[in-house]
Amino acid sequence: MLVYKAFFKIIQKNILQILIYIVIFLFFVVLIANTYTDPTNMDFKESKVNTVFINHDEDSKLLEGLKEYISQNANLIDIPDDIQKLQDALYFREVEYIVKVPKGFTEAFMKGEEIRIEKTIVPDSASSVYMDNLINKYLNTARLYISSIENLSQQQLVNYIGEDLSHETEVLLFNPDPEKGKNIRRMYYFNFLAYSLFAILILGVSAVMIVFNQPDLRKRHSCSPLKLKNMNFQMILGNISFAILVWLIMIIPSFIMYGDYMFTKKGLLFLLNSIIFTLPALSISFLIANIVKSKNAISAASNVVSLGTCFISGVFVPRDFLGETLLKFASFTPTYWYVKSNHIIANIDRLKEEDIRSILTGILIMLIFALTALAITMVIKKKKYTGQVSGS
Amino acid sequence: MFLHNYIYRLKCIVRDRELMFWTLFFPIILATFFNLAYANLSEAEKFAPINIAVVDNKEYQKNAPFQRVLKSLSTTSDDKDEEGIFNIRYTTKEEGDKLLNDKEIEGYIYCDNGIKLVIKESGLNQTILKNFIDEFKQTSSTVETIMEHNPESMHSGLLDRIGHRTNFLKEVAPSKSSPDTVVNYFYTLIAMACMYGGFWGLKEVTAIQPNLSPQGARINVAPIHRFKVVIVCILAAISVQLFEIILLLAYLTLVLKISVGNQIGYIILTCIVGTITGVTYGAFISSIIKEEGLKIGALIGSSMTMSFLAGMMYDKMKYIISTRAPILGYVNPVNLITDCFYSLYYYDTNSRFFTNIVILCVFIAIFSLCTYLVLRRQRYASL
Repeated sequence: MLVYKAFFKIIQKNILQILIYIVIFLFFVVLIANTYTDPTNMDFKESKVNTVFINHDEDSKLLEGLKEYISQNANLIDIPDDIQKLQDALYFREVEYIVKVPKGFTEAFMKGEEIRIEKTIVPDSASSVYMDNLINKYLNTARLYISSIENLSQQQLVNYIGEDLSHETEVLLFNPDPEKGKNIRRMYYFNFLAYSLFAILILGVSAVMIVFNQPDLRKRHSCSPLKLKNMNFQMILGNISFAILVWLIMIIPSFIMYGDYMFTKKGLLFLLNSIIFTLPALSISFLIANIVKSKNAISAASNVVSLGTCFISGVFVPRDFLGETLLKFASFTPTYWYVKSNHIIANIDRLKEEDIRSILTGILIMLIFALTALAITMVIKKKKYTGQVSGS
Repeated sequence: MFLHNYIYRLKCIVRDRELMFWTLFFPIILATFFNLAYANLSEAEKFAPINIAVVDNKEYQKNAPFQRVLKSLSTTSDDKDEEGIFNIRYTTKEEGDKLLNDKEIEGYIYCDNGIKLVIKESGLNQTILKNFIDEFKQTSSTVETIMEHNPESMHSGLLDRIGHRTNFLKEVAPSKSSPDTVVNYFYTLIAMACMYGGFWGLKEVTAIQPNLSPQGARINVAPIHRFKVVIVCILAAISVQLFEIILLLAYLTLVLKISVGNQIGYIILTCIVGTITGVTYGAFISSIIKEEGLKIGALIGSSMTMSFLAGMMYDKMKYIISTRAPILGYVNPVNLITDCFYSLYYYDTNSRFFTNIVILCVFIAIFSLCTYLVLRRQRYASL
């Protein structure tokens, strides 16, 4: 097993680069674990928009009532009335809606004059539609009272409105999925695994192949008593054990974080999907390893290929945000099929037959990718080899 | 002599294919990926009509006022003044369940001893839907209260007044540009590319250090002042890097259509200052660290960390830093360069922009001074 041993010696020499990717992966995994929220709450929760309420008017009862009503239906965030600070907060979505009450608003409003509150929003956003409706509802109700009942004090007015607006609709939840939030997070874990795994495989396999593909070393190997078949066999064995080793390292955190879940049907499907993905990733790495010529090109290739396939297949950005044509283009990478299956596994309540079928299709396509890449590599190797023999 | 050296350094730099990849092509490739991935990101928060269903049963048929309100909010409404908010389908309860399960609709309205809402998960759209039904109930309650206190009002046009909704809000634009989160990713990318200019600074300092490269030894015995050589090398590095940054900027604005605002002079100034910061940073790293591998590792590692803190991987990072630990933002060149672009794009005034530029210049001065102090008066007994 000389070749096999040499394989891992070369990996050991390059362990630092590989470790960087493992550290990035672990960092991300911990990040996912920390954003974990309690999923046991099964009630309907109203989405609350982060809002800033700035009052340039007097502290009237009417405005107090309005602020109180907003605070019940939105998160009031306290940010000082400073243009740049407000702009920053809006830009980074720390707040999505800024209300500014102008001076003299209460007086004009109570008299029935036309006056408007200033709002600063994220243009065309759904959150602004919601908040517009909320504030307009309050003020329209107030206007209705003022115009219909004479000599109404502000306190009375606020009481009436409060009474009216406390009427709420009963919300029924239909067949909710309690695990959904958790499943989505597990999906991100396995999606991100595609990036680290791919990058590491390209790095590792290329590092080894570049050494073995050196012309002089090849010639020396050719005249060794070891049969070519035997050597290739050990090489393949090395590649496969390296891939499996990396895969094992990548999935260990999932057992620590998700525990028993990994042994349920869904957990096992995630695992199966990821190990199948390892195969095309490995054979594409093998292909790249036989194309690149210099050591310096390895890190370039591994960055571009792993980042590129992951970006267009929806590893970093949810698939729903990617365009149709882009996804069609992405379907020419195994990562696309891997991510697609992960989506199916995470999103369905109970596995139906058609879901199983599309997961199986994904697996089949990934295997075809693996075989194709392997076949292309073989052709290239053969060509190079014959070229070398006849050339020298 | 100066020109001669300059041209030859330029040739050396341009022919370094590997570094050309990392400083020029890698940012361009990354920008392309960003563009592919984030193109629809801002679409996600845009408001689109909400798909809902209404169970068309007897109780619903009886509730004429509710039917009227729903109709007026529907996208198929004849009322052209108000844009519809809901895409309404009329179904049976079973069909509603199925549509909900298949995520065809966000929820359905079901009248059974009062108006009820059936949904599958919580979200903003569901909240908006619930609020509109709430409003119907609340308005009914308002009318009741008014009728109690002033029964006459029914005759004095109360119903008209209910129908007439006033908009009490007036939109004030946050700034001259829309708060498009996506552009910040590209600004951090430009900033990262500027710092990658450090590769050239690294290469140049290595090339003139006699104990690090044979060229260095050769240059050192030439009858030219060391300081002059350093200046020429750094200038050559800055020229190439600046050219690359301008190319990247052109690619972003002309091909990917990323907005950088329209103050072209200031944008170019940012590019120049950013480039010089990057190159001098690389020279600084190269002069204090001797080992080749470690130099590159330190450069990549530090610039990636700085990019992360400036929000290249997660846009809110920049905001978190600027509110919780502002100092960290001011000592991070990537963040400063990003912030220059951001303030040019988003703010109405340029005061923050100039603050950033001044701090960057301080960094340049520190990096250059340190490099100079390390490189000056080195003598070698043997090499």
